[in-house]
Amino acid sequence: MAADISLAGPLAELPEEIKAAVVKRATRSRYSAGQVLYLQGEPPEQLFILVSGWVKAIRISPEGREQAMLFLKAGEIFGDVAVFTGIPYPGTVIALEEVQCLVIERSAVMDLITGHPELAHAFIRKLSERIIYFVELVEDLALRDVQARIALTLLKHAERSDDRLVVPRRSWTTYDEMATRLGTVRDVLSRALRGLEDEGLLQVKRNEIVILDEQGLARRGNT
Amino acid sequence: MTAIDSKGRDQSNDDSLRVAVIQALDLALHTSAGLRVGVQDGIVHLAGRLQSLELWESAEVVAAYVPGVRGVVNRIEAPGAPGAGRTVHLDLNSESEGGLL
Repeated sequence: MAADISLAGPLAELPEEIKAAVVKRATRSRYSAGQVLYLQGEPPEQLFILVSGWVKAIRISPEGREQAMLFLKAGEIFGDVAVFTGIPYPGTVIALEEVQCLVIERSAVMDLITGHPELAHAFIRKLSERIIYFVELVEDLALRDVQARIALTLLKHAERSDDRLVVPRRSWTTYDEMATRLGTVRDVLSRALRGLEDEGLLQVKRNEIVILDEQGLARRGNT
Repeated sequence: MTAIDSKGRDQSNDDSLRVAVIQALDLALHTSAGLRVGVQDGIVHLAGRLQSLELWESAEVVAAYVPGVRGVVNRIEAPGAPGAGRTVHLDLNSESEGGLL
């Protein structure tokens, strides 16, 4: 296996010889922030393994509205649904920062999973996790208002730092990105965040969101 | 064989539209090899790189004029063009994101 490639996620647990086989059949690609990895409606020719950086998977609905589907970090696999079903990619994937990927042609993916059942198990596990994620997303969009969705999303991404509970805002976390992620628009998101600030649950800063009342925010997320 | 997706839509319409858009871009700009095209639900998605803002605008207009196209998401990179990763909400009534038509 290439010494400078470190696979995270479910692939990290695979035997070294399988990881080496994956890397051997892959092309290493780099993308800069804002660059498109693949487009919604393109033929499913390649599967991607994210080695470093963050990407977002978005989808334009038949009505023309953009919805963020996934924000993915190192170790994530994407393009798999299209590659395994043979239908065009269901969404567009865009680099949010400098990213490095392993890119595997569809035919090579099929060869690899035929020759290495453990790899097929890893893909099944990843797909199963994604089904759970989308079930939870549907529940969020159907049953919770914007403030509740913000509350739960912030708690999910919060990190403890010097006795403070904070959600770091990456350079690409603009209000538009956050709004798209939460299935709303910028104005509604701004109002909802202001409302949560007024209630004393959080404080929005330039580089982070500080959670002031964890239990209160959790209650708000489940109302 | 006709490909029907999970929502019962005939995928062949989008496939045909994709071929037509690629041909139209090739004919008009002579640069389709550098562009990527995806089509779903009659909405065209464009990516790749072009040398000027004029070509960027032309690619969007050319794609939008292909019969059957309902809208164009232009994520082509070009000097002076909007960021490819921006959030896009299409106004399908005007059949173009930037109101070029």
